[in-house]
Amino acid sequence: MVGASIALPEAGSAESAEAEHPNGDGPALVAGSICEAHELRALAAERPGTRIEIPPQYNKPYPSRSACRSHELAWDDSAPGPRQPIPFSHKHHAGEYEIPCQYCHSGTDRSQAAGVPSVETCMGCHGQLALDYDQEFEGIRILKEHWGHSYVNDNGTWKLQPRDESKAKPIQWVQVHRLPEHVQFRHNRHVKRGLDCNQCHGNLRQEAPVKVEDLDKLYLVPDTLWWKYGLPTQKLEMGWCIKCHRENEASQDCLTCHY
Amino acid sequence: MSELDRRDFLKLVGASAGAAAAVGCSDPVEKLIPYVVQPEEITPGIPVIYASTCRECPAGCGLHVRTREGRPVKLEGNPEHPVNQGTLCARGQSGIGRTYHPDRFAGPMRRGPGGELEPLAWDEALSLLAEKIQANPSGTYVLGGDVGPTAGSVVDRFVTATGAGGRVVYDPFAPEALRESTRALFGQARVPRFDLSDADLVVDFGSDFLDVGPAPTEHARQLAQARDVHNENGGVRLVHVGPRLSMTASNADEWIPAKPGSEGLVALAAAHVALRERGGDASALRSLGHVTPADAAARAGVDAATIERLGRALAAAKRPVALPPGVAGWSRRAVASAAAVLLLNHALGAVGRDVHLEREPAGRARASHREALRLVEAMNSGAVSVLIVHDADPLYSLPAASGFGKALEKVDFVVSTASMVDETAARADLILPDHTPLESWGDAEPRVGVRSLLQPTIRPLFDTRALADTLLDTGRAMGLGGQLPSGSFRTLLEQAWSGSDFRNALARGGEFRPQASGSAPVPSASAMLQVAEPMLEGEGDFALVAYPHSLLYDGRGANLPWLQEIPDPVTKVAWQSWVEVSQATADKMGLKAGDVLAVETSAGRVEVPVLPRGGIRDDVVAIAIGQGHSRGHYASLAGDGQPGETRGVSVLALLPSVTDESGGRAFLTARARVTKTGGFQRLPLLQSTDNKRKRMLGEALPLAVVKGEGHGDGHAGGHHGADLGPVYANEHAPIEAYDATADSHEDSPYRWGMSIDLDKCTGCSACVAACYLENNIPVVGEEGSVRARQMSWIRIERFVGEGYIEYVDAPERGRRPQPSNEVLGKTDVRNSPMLCQQCGAAPCEPVCPPIATYHNPEGLNGMIYNRCIGTRYCSNNCPYKVRRFNYFDYSQFNWPGLFNLMLNPDVTVRGQGVMEKCTFCVQRINAARQGAKDEGRPIGDGEVVTACQQACPSHAIGFGNLKDSGSAVSKLGDDKRGYHALHSLNTRSAITYLAKVTRDVES
Amino acid sequence: MTPPPAEAVAARLASAPVASDSKINRDILSVLDGASLKYWGLLGLVVLGVAQAVATLAYQTYIGMGVAGYSHPIFWGVYIVCFVFWVGIAHAGTLISAILYLFRAKWRNAINRGAEAMTVFAVVTAALFPLIHIGRIWKFYFMIPYPNQRGLWVNFKSPLLWDLFAINTYMTISIVFFYVGLIPDIAIARDRSSGWRKVLYTILSLGWQGTSRQWKAHNRTVLHLSGLATPLVLSVHSVVSWDFAVSIVPGWHATIFAPYFVAGAIFSGFAMVLTLLIPVRRIFGLEEYITDYHFENMSRFILLTSTIVGYAYGAEYFIAWYSGVEAERTSFFMRALGPYWISTWIMITCNAVFPQLLWFKKLRTNLPFLFVLAFLINLGMWFERYVIIITGLSREHDPAVWGTYTPSLAEMSILVGSFCWFSMFFLIFLKIFPVVAIYEVKELAIHENAHGGAH
Repeated sequence: MVGASIALPEAGSAESAEAEHPNGDGPALVAGSICEAHELRALAAERPGTRIEIPPQYNKPYPSRSACRSHELAWDDSAPGPRQPIPFSHKHHAGEYEIPCQYCHSGTDRSQAAGVPSVETCMGCHGQLALDYDQEFEGIRILKEHWGHSYVNDNGTWKLQPRDESKAKPIQWVQVHRLPEHVQFRHNRHVKRGLDCNQCHGNLRQEAPVKVEDLDKLYLVPDTLWWKYGLPTQKLEMGWCIKCHRENEASQDCLTCHY
Repeated sequence: MSELDRRDFLKLVGASAGAAAAVGCSDPVEKLIPYVVQPEEITPGIPVIYASTCRECPAGCGLHVRTREGRPVKLEGNPEHPVNQGTLCARGQSGIGRTYHPDRFAGPMRRGPGGELEPLAWDEALSLLAEKIQANPSGTYVLGGDVGPTAGSVVDRFVTATGAGGRVVYDPFAPEALRESTRALFGQARVPRFDLSDADLVVDFGSDFLDVGPAPTEHARQLAQARDVHNENGGVRLVHVGPRLSMTASNADEWIPAKPGSEGLVALAAAHVALRERGGDASALRSLGHVTPADAAARAGVDAATIERLGRALAAAKRPVALPPGVAGWSRRAVASAAAVLLLNHALGAVGRDVHLEREPAGRARASHREALRLVEAMNSGAVSVLIVHDADPLYSLPAASGFGKALEKVDFVVSTASMVDETAARADLILPDHTPLESWGDAEPRVGVRSLLQPTIRPLFDTRALADTLLDTGRAMGLGGQLPSGSFRTLLEQAWSGSDFRNALARGGEFRPQASGSAPVPSASAMLQVAEPMLEGEGDFALVAYPHSLLYDGRGANLPWLQEIPDPVTKVAWQSWVEVSQATADKMGLKAGDVLAVETSAGRVEVPVLPRGGIRDDVVAIAIGQGHSRGHYASLAGDGQPGETRGVSVLALLPSVTDESGGRAFLTARARVTKTGGFQRLPLLQSTDNKRKRMLGEALPLAVVKGEGHGDGHAGGHHGADLGPVYANEHAPIEAYDATADSHEDSPYRWGMSIDLDKCTGCSACVAACYLENNIPVVGEEGSVRARQMSWIRIERFVGEGYIEYVDAPERGRRPQPSNEVLGKTDVRNSPMLCQQCGAAPCEPVCPPIATYHNPEGLNGMIYNRCIGTRYCSNNCPYKVRRFNYFDYSQFNWPGLFNLMLNPDVTVRGQGVMEKCTFCVQRINAARQGAKDEGRPIGDGEVVTACQQACPSHAIGFGNLKDSGSAVSKLGDDKRGYHALHSLNTRSAITYLAKVTRDVES
Repeated sequence: MTPPPAEAVAARLASAPVASDSKINRDILSVLDGASLKYWGLLGLVVLGVAQAVATLAYQTYIGMGVAGYSHPIFWGVYIVCFVFWVGIAHAGTLISAILYLFRAKWRNAINRGAEAMTVFAVVTAALFPLIHIGRIWKFYFMIPYPNQRGLWVNFKSPLLWDLFAINTYMTISIVFFYVGLIPDIAIARDRSSGWRKVLYTILSLGWQGTSRQWKAHNRTVLHLSGLATPLVLSVHSVVSWDFAVSIVPGWHATIFAPYFVAGAIFSGFAMVLTLLIPVRRIFGLEEYITDYHFENMSRFILLTSTIVGYAYGAEYFIAWYSGVEAERTSFFMRALGPYWISTWIMITCNAVFPQLLWFKKLRTNLPFLFVLAFLINLGMWFERYVIIITGLSREHDPAVWGTYTPSLAEMSILVGSFCWFSMFFLIFLKIFPVVAIYEVKELAIHENAHGGAH
């Protein structure tokens, strides 16, 4: 899995701190955020004797450690795939929390287009979550700004300002799964047929199956430029479509997809 | 490429317009832009349909606006609407272009000191207007078209509140003469409504109701209904009286080529004959002057026998209807002519039966030409300081001789609310752009009992404001809030509809309670009208007939590319003006098509290429109204809003400013002198010849043959043509019948097929427009049209008679043979839509090297654009010549401005160098398949409606599954009139044409 | 026509002083050395011509086929005309080399080299036009049957695909034939040259020593190749003709097309040989080797084929009338009397009328006349294809969309370019390889000596 073993970068994070204190004596490692707290606890667990100090306001279970990692990795530029405007992690949402794909990508079973959730949909959950998330995650802050909120930063803490609807603006995601202009693909037919989304959006036909719900950051799966990325994802090629259609005795008439 | 292409469009899910996808060359990045808040009813990828109302002409047809992801992509007819009942004409469909038009104003603008327009904020603009009005309220006038009852009332209240000089409602084609004639005859001014549905004889005294009538879609439908060959004695007979073979005349069974303006005389004489035959009181007729057939014939330039025959036919008919002269026939004596026709109707008992004199809807704005002329005087006298022009382009559409242009200079402050640039707006000091109809609220009441709603189908794309709101806010800015209704126009609209269920009205498109017609009023003999010749001004051998272009209407259609691109249904000329002269005149003057003539009247002079025709009187020249704009992307030769060379000429520049007896506008007013200039301009003629050379195209059969026994064949779907051989006077007659259902895969339940009834097709070209807009077909402009590079997938071929076989092009007609086989007084015009025949044995298929075109299991002749390499062999081998080639990358350059936002996401935009053609709207077939598959059933009959079929006002096109012997199309396919185009080539076409029926007008 | 016996040949050649081996070598190889300023000028000119055509093609590919004169419904134009024209030209070479070789028509020896070269260059030129013609040149590989991930195949029913194979086969064979014939002469040249030529020739001559074994092998190869090439001469242009014959376009759909096209091809081929050899002979003083006798024989061929072509024209019109199909009749009447009558009459006069003058022996050996005639024939044959394609498409089944076509500047530029491209190759060939087959001329000389002794 790409990027799975990526360590947290930046100063203040556990590794760099540990580098300064090889044998763990000297001043304690102080967590500067809930996420750091998670990392330090982990460090302490694997290196007994490391002195760590976690201020009470950071001593919280949520946001969970995995959330922290996903947030980090979703914006990890060393991983392949385009940088999205928000460090959204499918792994975190669809993987850990097992939110069904169609909860957000609604209408996929009715429409040819899969549809991308509106900001409202995101806020449906994130509107409920504790402000710690805003404090911890830039992603959340960006999301809420798209919803029309703004923030004031008084020394380190982000203060959420009430929503101003006029400031709301759509999120401009970078499209990663792309079909050529001349292909008419109908999601609803394939969903109704009971296809696993990963058949196309991941890749199940190989040793280590790639599933969207395992990815913090999605690969770019272009129609033509696949050779630029040696990725384990499906290349959305005609031959591959046809193969599946043949196996499932679906229509192989050209006019089914090209018109 | 910074333009949005189709795919981006699909992806731009409802985001604010103009958000373009940044696409680099090497590594394209495409954005997915979801809603902030996704509206309940919208699911990306599924069209949402809103009911609204068409504003392209006063007919007020109901619209179904198909939107995708918040964008209107296609206009269709509202099936519930009583006027158009689900169909829509070419003009109505093209109206969608106004919303995305590159000529649109981005926001309010003012004329700077340098004379150039500079943007300003709305409140600035409004306060500016406010102070201008306050400076001289009584000098303020509002001039504009009909904006519907509610908006109209707002305008009126604004006028009264501000104490403005007045409001002048202006509509160049307002039927004032007709209204006046009813007042003169029956004492109450009403515009009669003519119902042709049940008529058995329709005599059209120059109304051209199929070209530009009060409601072309409705009349076409009614005519088709009355014309059904299964009706008693084989359907209605249509007689046309008029100087030229217009579209209506082309569809007539008999054409009486009377002198222009003499329709009234003919009608009156015919009435006398009819009364003599039936017996009845002719006193009412005498009030218009006693006209004997003989002297009417002499004055109308036809022979007396014809009028006698016409009169007897009218007397003999069970339900005859006579239609009064239309725009082209409005002369100084328009009221008298109209009265004559009305009296004829009355004498035949049609009034109250098929001619309805309903009371007019309350608050119907009444356009008066005389008022407009008075305003011009006032302007000239300097009494007008502020002129607010809305929903009209008077500078273009008023006769130049009226001096409106000069008068405009005398007006201190001209305000235009045009949403896109036109002649008048170009002269305005302040521009307060209105929404386009698709962005606006509003209502219309085309006739009493039919209240139709407009609702926004897209968020305004630019910083525009509804006219009513503009006026209300201005009034408030003047501190007149108290005297004006409170709230926005939308709230006012709801109040206006408070009497009815507004939500339901929104869903259905309005409130339709057609009224029963009142009883027939009795004509008063006191009318002081004299039926007489038109009294034309000026010298010259020719009467100048200025007739409305059936696509450009009064000129408002000129800036819509599709209306320019679709050739005129009669002459097949696109993108240009032309002057029609008779073939005889042309021979006398040694003219061939394209020679530039100078046409001169007392009012002006224009130079325009000539088109010789058989179908026009020798003493007449005719020019269509509609071209000759100097502003706009498509209307003029200028690319942007800048002043530019005009496209074609405006015949209105030739007309003296003359009114009829009632002060209504007269168009038939001038004599013309015609001289050769020696210049030549190649006309964009989209049909090379109307001589079908007896080939199996556009067939016609005499009624006797159709009614006669022995030719019918009962058997199921697709078998036809065989035993018709003998009945076609045609060496391409069917050789052997074939079973079209055998042309799809045996496992497939479908064999898609079509039937086209030439007896119903009027040639109106609504289907062509529908095809353009449904299938993202590019327009190629004048230059492309001249080179016959048009891309339309369906074209209407117009043949005259069986044709004749001549082996040499007459050299004087140049390298292209010209249409010229019309004969004065004869109508044997066959309008035959030609589109891909989806052949069972398609000649195009075997010759395509990469198999880009192939036969699909359901019998369609598939065209796979992305597999095509453009050898163009398929087109060579296609006998119907329905394949088109992408000469350039139209997908890049063909949709300027925001036009690309209205592309149909379900149809691939074809790239450079590939062939394209009709595939029976396969995207609609596949859409219908979704529902069927979900329910696990086959697609039912009538579930798939092709774009052309949907639009056709006369329901001439049928589409369905030939394998289902119960389907409508199979049944029609078995009609004894059925034949296949060029049958002898045995292409096993899936389209069955039903031959036109030629009927005699018995007497 | 049966070839004259070797004696007769010798007798005719006897008119010229007997040439010795060394003289032959000297004379013929002298063509190769020292390119004159004129030569370079001419070469530069044609290269320029090619360059502008390439530029046009680039422009057309970028902007779209709209830059050509196409207008609905006439979607084939000058490019296809040129394609058929050049394929036609390509015929004489193989005919002379292969068929006449099999017939042992000795007189061919002096001219076959030039003819073969012409063939190769012509077919290379022709092969370009289908690519130039198609709307999406960058997708031309869709025409080639190769396994691809899409799992798509090509349509072997399409005559255009038959073309693809016919042309490629023909190109391969003629190139091999040309090269094999060259080997002995290259060897001779190698032995007399130095510098880069030496290197080139050494590589190309494949170590030719002129041993009897090598000669045996060589003769056998030539014989077999001739066997292979002979059917191609007939097949290639038959296939090309089917592009038209199998369609349903009035004026194209005719069974006579294959023989008609083959005859026309040979006809134009010989004309082109004349056009090229007459100046070459003059400029490089090869009168001794390329004699009146050759020209007379070629003239006979031209006369024969011209008559066949003329007959075909007549037959076309007769069948059109006799079929009674109105569309066919119209199509042909429009040819003769319609908008394209000029092209039609150019074609008829140049191809069927003028060549008949060759019945006169005087004219058959009158080189200036032959040169002019050959030019006219090339013109006529180009217009023949123009007439068939354009008039066919301009007057089809649906009179409502009868159209007209006028070649555009772009098409003209590429037309000119194709001639330059062809000439460029030929000019280069002149200076690199012997334009007359040395060893074959020697064979003649040997005959000649032998019989000289006998009498």
